Amino acid sequence: MNFARRIYRRLAEAFPHEFKLVYGTELTLLGEDVVEEIARRHGVTGLIRLIVDIAIRVPIEYLGEMRRDLRYAVRALLKSPGFALVGIISLGIGMGMTTSVFSRVWAQMFRGLPAVTDADRLAIPEDPVSYYYIEQYRAQKSLFEGVAAFQTGVPFSVALPGNGHAKPERVFGQIVSPGYFSLLGVKAQRGRVFSPEVDKPGDAPVVVITDRFWRNRLNSAPDALGQTLRLNGQPATIIGITPKDFKGAMPVVPAEIFVPVTVPPSLAPELANAILDDPHAKVFQAMLRLAPGVTIESAEAGLDAVTRRLDDRDSSDAKHNDKSRRVTLLAGGTMVPIPRAMRPVLVGFFVVLIGLILTISCMNLANMLLARGSARRKELAIRLAVGASRFRLIRQMMSEGILIAMLGGAAGLALAYWLSLLSSQLKLPQAVPQELDYSLDWRAFVFTFALAIVCGIGFSLAPALQATKSGVVPALKEGAAIQLRGYRRLGMRNLLVLGQVAGSLMLLLITGFLVLGFSKTGSVQTKFNANTMYLLSIDPVRDGYSREKAQALFDKLPTLLQSTGAIPTIALASQAPFSMANGTVQLRASQAIQVAAKESIGERYFEALDEPLLAGREFAHRDREIKTPMPVVLNETAARGLFGSANAIGQRVTEDRQSCEVVGVVPDLKSGIVDDDQSAAVIYLPLTERDFATPPAGGITLMVRSSVGADALIGIRRQLASLDPNLDIFNVRTLAEHLELSRSFMRNALDTYVGIGVFGLVLAAIGLAGVTAYAVARRRKEIGIRMALGARKGQVLGLVLREGATLVAVGTALGFLGAIAMAKMLSSLTSIFANALNVSTNDPRLLVGAPLLLAGLALLACYIPARKSAKIDPLRALREE
Amino acid sequence: MAEFDPRRLLPLKTQWFHIMLSLAGEEQHGYGIMRQVLERSTGKVRLWPATLYGSLKRLIEAGLIEESDERPAPELDDARRRYYRLTDLGRRVLDAECDRLQELVDSIRVKRAMVTE
Repeated sequence: MNFARRIYRRLAEAFPHEFKLVYGTELTLLGEDVVEEIARRHGVTGLIRLIVDIAIRVPIEYLGEMRRDLRYAVRALLKSPGFALVGIISLGIGMGMTTSVFSRVWAQMFRGLPAVTDADRLAIPEDPVSYYYIEQYRAQKSLFEGVAAFQTGVPFSVALPGNGHAKPERVFGQIVSPGYFSLLGVKAQRGRVFSPEVDKPGDAPVVVITDRFWRNRLNSAPDALGQTLRLNGQPATIIGITPKDFKGAMPVVPAEIFVPVTVPPSLAPELANAILDDPHAKVFQAMLRLAPGVTIESAEAGLDAVTRRLDDRDSSDAKHNDKSRRVTLLAGGTMVPIPRAMRPVLVGFFVVLIGLILTISCMNLANMLLARGSARRKELAIRLAVGASRFRLIRQMMSEGILIAMLGGAAGLALAYWLSLLSSQLKLPQAVPQELDYSLDWRAFVFTFALAIVCGIGFSLAPALQATKSGVVPALKEGAAIQLRGYRRLGMRNLLVLGQVAGSLMLLLITGFLVLGFSKTGSVQTKFNANTMYLLSIDPVRDGYSREKAQALFDKLPTLLQSTGAIPTIALASQAPFSMANGTVQLRASQAIQVAAKESIGERYFEALDEPLLAGREFAHRDREIKTPMPVVLNETAARGLFGSANAIGQRVTEDRQSCEVVGVVPDLKSGIVDDDQSAAVIYLPLTERDFATPPAGGITLMVRSSVGADALIGIRRQLASLDPNLDIFNVRTLAEHLELSRSFMRNALDTYVGIGVFGLVLAAIGLAGVTAYAVARRRKEIGIRMALGARKGQVLGLVLREGATLVAVGTALGFLGAIAMAKMLSSLTSIFANALNVSTNDPRLLVGAPLLLAGLALLACYIPARKSAKIDPLRALREE
Repeated sequence: MAEFDPRRLLPLKTQWFHIMLSLAGEEQHGYGIMRQVLERSTGKVRLWPATLYGSLKRLIEAGLIEESDERPAPELDDARRRYYRLTDLGRRVLDAECDRLQELVDSIRVKRAMVTE
């Protein structure tokens, strides 16, 4: 019983202050009065009920108090809607931007693969390797629990079951080793996935489809399992459907179907030439699951040794004496595998960006709350005088801050959602569809929301403490003017504004640098009207053509199309001109090594682009045959890198153990996409019979230049249809559209940066307007006296503006220096930034324009509230005493 | 607040009804209310202390009862205890609730009579 009494007393003390003030004594008293009687009458059950009753009441009372605080806060905010709105917008933009940036970039890089178990134990070598090597990796049981191979972004021409006459659709999928699914830990939602025990070479071809394929293309047909798809003209039986959201490893290139490596090459031309046994065919990605206790670093070291041993068996390999590391492992379980070295860079960049945004918006809030706190001093003093507890007042002021933070969070969510809608409309200019996941990450939102509430508490606590600290009597006597007594030049408010001006100028400059830099390096100038070139792609092998038939088609195609008339130039290429490079190769000449992008092109390619060669010749029809040395064309950068100023024509170059002879040199064509500076060098190889037999993922691109506009396209389509009505023509667009698409990617990034810069500017202006308005209010009496003594309006205005102007000037100077420092820091992080920043950090438009813009806007923000000072009626201001 | 319809607060929570019924016609402190409710219901309804004071607080906020400043004779007074009484509004609400309950009981009687016939 004594125990119950003790607990009861404890709980009675836990009630909120206000409740205890009125009912505390009686509650304790009553409990002690009845406890014996209850024990007598109801025994232990009664005592338990007594305790439970009071234990439930404590939180109920607290909730009631909070509700009252909140209601009070709503009323207070409704009374000053301007304050509320500015606070909500500031925080809303801050949180929206943060959530959006976080979801888009951060989560993409660090979010685990959907439907995959223990994604953090997966690793993936940076470069593709041969299937043969992957088989050897499998033997390293001490390093890896399992190893699988896959090829991603593989196009298939798919004819759906029971739909014999419809044109096949082009679908992208993966070719995977049988152990792929069990390695990832992915189970089928229906049917089965591949397994090494069941799926053997020579079996009837099978295929696993994704949930998306099943829903979108098969209309979720319940009897899909066991049906037959025609893949590249060959039948394959559907044996399973993967779980929802699973898009394969590396889902940036989403897969819709999965085909095992055990299918014959007639179904997947990628598997031709006994590629699985060729140690040099580095076309497979390896996915590794680390053994328990093995770190990614030790796995990398182990794998490097294994690879070195394998390389050394082959004495013809040029890398024989290369001491550098041959394998780099990346985390394989994320949406985009990121090199480990890049991680701190990316994390650093986003932490800086998000930190700046949040700091600026929180500063605004803190600033306004400070101003408000001192303006409300009189009200608070009255409430303190009539007996409100200081704790209660502080709690109330804090609930205002939290309320604003919550409303700001809601606004932020709306903004982030809108931004994600905007970004999801974005298309990347690639042959293989890429898909970035722009959906909002709830974790990001929870994170920012929690942060906002912490900020809300933090930034309302200091002003609340400050405002309730002062003695009641002087505050009541002097009212709001109490601040006059201790005016500090470097007060907390002024520091905040200073930080804000500097911070937003930094944002503006950095984003400006990037925008200008990217748009300068990213623009492509063609020497002709890009609207007059049409690009279209065909892929006859996947439409069921045999090797020979496909070659024959490409042989006669140019002459055939030219016969339609009005087509001056036609050229073939493995990818559209000005595309992003499809990986790089290492070139070796007798003296030098040069990393270059590789493109395969047909005859008259440069003629079609109006780019005359600097030396040598273009490819001719005879270069289609595979021979040694292979004729190649270099661009200027590659030629200079390999041969210096010497004549490159006729020189020998080795590319991946293949001997080549330089037959031509062309000027550098800009790729249009900011990329690592390495790819500035390009080697052009001739399209050969082999390319026609196994075209790249984007098919073979036809470039057609014509002056007769869209009619030419109709003519070409008719010609191709007359040749073979079943030949699928895809990716039809003009070069202008293609370039536009390339730029849309860049433009989206630029829009984001511009948005961030503008956001900082607006917030800074709001903050400054607040400071000036506050200064006017604070010096009301002083201004009244001055005006009564004969000061003119202009003088008064100058007096008020001076403070704001000083802050703007100092802040601008600091921000300018900060921005330059940060640009230097970013440039040192990656060459992508360095390239963009190099061309823009000395642009006078930015260096002069941005500070002027900020200063102008800031002074305007000062001026508007400052005008109020001139309207002060001296008589009234003095009477208010 | 001239014409506030007391029925808007009906039906009353059980503990509110019991507290207000105890205050009908007399002023009481918390302990007294508890005792009275216990006796009136022959020990069936017990207002547990925290519930009792929580309800008193809410009844005051709703304007149904108020603290009384009249104290009983000094020899009976316990200075630590507060006394409560019904407000006018409280009285009207209590009357309305009693009427409502009365009607309920009446309709039960009618139904019973019909069933037994």
